[in-house]
Amino acid sequence: MRKSALLTLFTASCALAAPVAEPARYWYNMYYIWLVVAVAIYLIVVIPAIYFAVKYRYRKGNETAQHVQENHLLEILWTIVPVLIVIYLATQSFAFYRVQRNAPEGAFEIKVTGFMWGWQFQYPNGKQVIAFFNMMEDPQTKEYLPLDKIPDTAKAYIPAGVPIKVLLTSQDVIHSFYVHPAKVMEDAVPGRITHLWFQINQPGEYWVFCREYCGTKHSKMAAVLKVVPKEEFEKWYGGPLPIQGKQVSFNIQ
Amino acid sequence: MAVAGVHRPWFGATLKEWIFTTDHKKIGVMYGVTSLLFFLIAGISALGIRLELFQPGLQYMDEDTYNALLTTHGVLMQFWWAVGVWSSFGNFLLPLMIGARDVAFPRLNALSYWFFFSASVLAVLTLLPGNHIRMMWTGYPPISLNDNVGQVAYYAFIIHLLGASSLATAVNLVVTNLRMRAPGITLGKMNLFLHAFLAMNVIQILGVPALAGAVTMLLLDKYFHTAFFDPSRGGDPILYQNIFWFYSHPVVYVMVLPAFGVISEIVATFSRREIFGRKSMIAAIWGIAILGFMVWIHHMFTSGIPDWIKIIFSYTTVLIGVPTGIKIFNWVATLYKGSIRYTTPMLYILSAIFMFLIGGLTGIPLGLPAFDINVQDSHFVVGHFHYVLGMTVTLVAFGGFFYWFPKVTGRMYSEFWGKVALVLIMVGSNLFYFLQLIVGLEGMPRRYADYPPIPQWITLHELQTVGAFILAVGVGLAVLNLVLSAKFGPKAPDNPWESPSLEWLVPSPPPPHNFDKIPHMPEDWDPYNYEWLSKHKKV
Ligand code: HEM
Ligand SMILES: [Cu+2]
Ligand SMILES: [Cu+2]
Repeated sequence: MRKSALLTLFTASCALAAPVAEPARYWYNMYYIWLVVAVAIYLIVVIPAIYFAVKYRYRKGNETAQHVQENHLLEILWTIVPVLIVIYLATQSFAFYRVQRNAPEGAFEIKVTGFMWGWQFQYPNGKQVIAFFNMMEDPQTKEYLPLDKIPDTAKAYIPAGVPIKVLLTSQDVIHSFYVHPAKVMEDAVPGRITHLWFQINQPGEYWVFCREYCGTKHSKMAAVLKVVPKEEFEKWYGGPLPIQGKQVSFNIQ
Repeated sequence: MAVAGVHRPWFGATLKEWIFTTDHKKIGVMYGVTSLLFFLIAGISALGIRLELFQPGLQYMDEDTYNALLTTHGVLMQFWWAVGVWSSFGNFLLPLMIGARDVAFPRLNALSYWFFFSASVLAVLTLLPGNHIRMMWTGYPPISLNDNVGQVAYYAFIIHLLGASSLATAVNLVVTNLRMRAPGITLGKMNLFLHAFLAMNVIQILGVPALAGAVTMLLLDKYFHTAFFDPSRGGDPILYQNIFWFYSHPVVYVMVLPAFGVISEIVATFSRREIFGRKSMIAAIWGIAILGFMVWIHHMFTSGIPDWIKIIFSYTTVLIGVPTGIKIFNWVATLYKGSIRYTTPMLYILSAIFMFLIGGLTGIPLGLPAFDINVQDSHFVVGHFHYVLGMTVTLVAFGGFFYWFPKVTGRMYSEFWGKVALVLIMVGSNLFYFLQLIVGLEGMPRRYADYPPIPQWITLHELQTVGAFILAVGVGLAVLNLVLSAKFGPKAPDNPWESPSLEWLVPSPPPPHNFDKIPHMPEDWDPYNYEWLSKHKKV
């Protein structure tokens, strides 16, 4: 029973409709594989533990322990099986990670620079967007604004369904660029250029957070991605996308 | 040497005797009191943090205060509590367990404590407004080179004092263990506690210099214009992360290996049998200690290092789960055919094992880059290490306090209140830490004083705060139990648990020189041979 319920959970997760953003799919796959393994191991250890704890409690008829010092077969088994499981997990992760790291060919390249405390987005044609921490808060109460209350000038336009490659760096200290719907992040390191990629399929507004502690306003160092259909993006951008606009579809099952 | 009281037990000592003592037991008690005090200070700063996160917006403090509290919380919990508390256990118990009259270098031992004490005073002073340090316990450059986050020199000095203290203690305990074991206590026969402390101290000796080097370079960069880490002068901030984590990953085993040792002692005693697979336990301890130095890159999976390095380190990281798993399997197998007594320490330890399983299983995916890429620097990581540190290490430390309480004080704690405290701790911390994992999976970044009003996040944060306060009540009760019982508890017998382990064969509290003459342990003695004791009542 328990097993089949887990299995359903697992297949349901794989069949999840295309996530709103890529490469989140690979994160979800890794997540559910881990979850099944972890829950299984937890039960395999805890159920016998509780059983022993009750059965072998000190009581009349069980005043002394019996000695079972070693059991080589059992010990070899619980060494080899975990070795195989973790090697499988790391190898599976390796396979997913290749896709999560390497932007599809023809991705639209944007340069993003972190600074204390905001993000500068530079598009290939020179267009710029700056998201500064004080645009994220209510000028009076200093409270975080919800997505829809943030001024449009602080929003970076992104074409829907197009893979975006972000080249990251920083002007001052280390920040980290976390694309919330795509479930990817990478540090913005001064003096280095790092990269990540994502693709958001569904138009809407999404968060980007700074994920590396960078001083006082770290927790307001967010940006908003305004994802719009390609035509609308081209209008805002002032010209056609300088790529073939190749859309990437995913199939890993 | 003879300053310490000769005829009175440790608690009857005068202030002067406390200050000038070289007695390992007094020093152990001083470490214990200091680390417990700092645990409470760090816990109170954590409640401040949790209160602030109850709702979005800044209700109780500004960001700078939040960041200072979090730095305090992280540093104190790790270096004073999770590391420091084991100096207490090591000092008090190690000489007793091996049949020695003191550690190998008693004066050096006193010096270690006073270094630790000086670092403590400096750490307390950072609580004063104007002295705040706000660079988080990790102190990454370039943010740590920025004046806005507090004084690097001050921070480096604290780390150097702590480092000197840990190194001296480590050398002292390793030498004591290897050179001063009483005849009959062989390496193969000695307690698993001693094996764990040996491995832990070896990690300290190999690792502490790396951390000391990292902060020294930081100091030079900031005040002497070198350019190790400062990118504006050609340095590389990633270099700091490499040196820092080369020690700061292994240091998690400095926190957790002694806990493994204590778990093994208590599980064996109350199951009335030797730990299952004793040899594989020793192998696992050393496997963890060695592998622990080969995994530090998992803290840097999103730092912009080359991808192939991450893949190699992801394999080494998950492999460390294997010896860790073996230890858990062995503890569970020890219950099999045992005769289990459910005293307060045993219940703390069993809870700790179940919680450590969650801590370990949530650690595995952090070693998988495909998973980590979404949760690095999120509350998922924070939830994971709270399961390991906040629950496992803390429950084991309290379990150990209760277990050796009669030995240290000669009095008995209250079983009833010990159990009530445990229930509150378990309910509160699971509510708190489990939801911390969930809100992390949802994307909540770590070290955020404020967060956007995302409805699920708000609910999850509110419940976490409730959990944290339940937990705090539980911890408060446990501490009160210890403090009040030390004064008012009923007298305890010398060996209430009927254990043949050597520390239980001396009077409670142990006399100033532990043993009238160095014991010779017979062939049939073993610290886990519970029948032996009924045959020979006294050594
Ligand atoms: C009353 C109990 C506790 C509460 C309420 C608590 C609360 C918290 C919270 C909310 C954070 C994350 C804050 C953020 O990232 O913005 C945190 C971080 C942390 N906690 Fe705790 N905690 C408790 C106990 C412990 C214990 C017992 C330990 C270790 C033995 C511990 C070690 C840490 C560490 C190392 C951090 C990371 C600090 C950093 O990010 O630099 N905590 N704690
Ligand atoms: Cu930041
Ligand atoms: Cu680590």
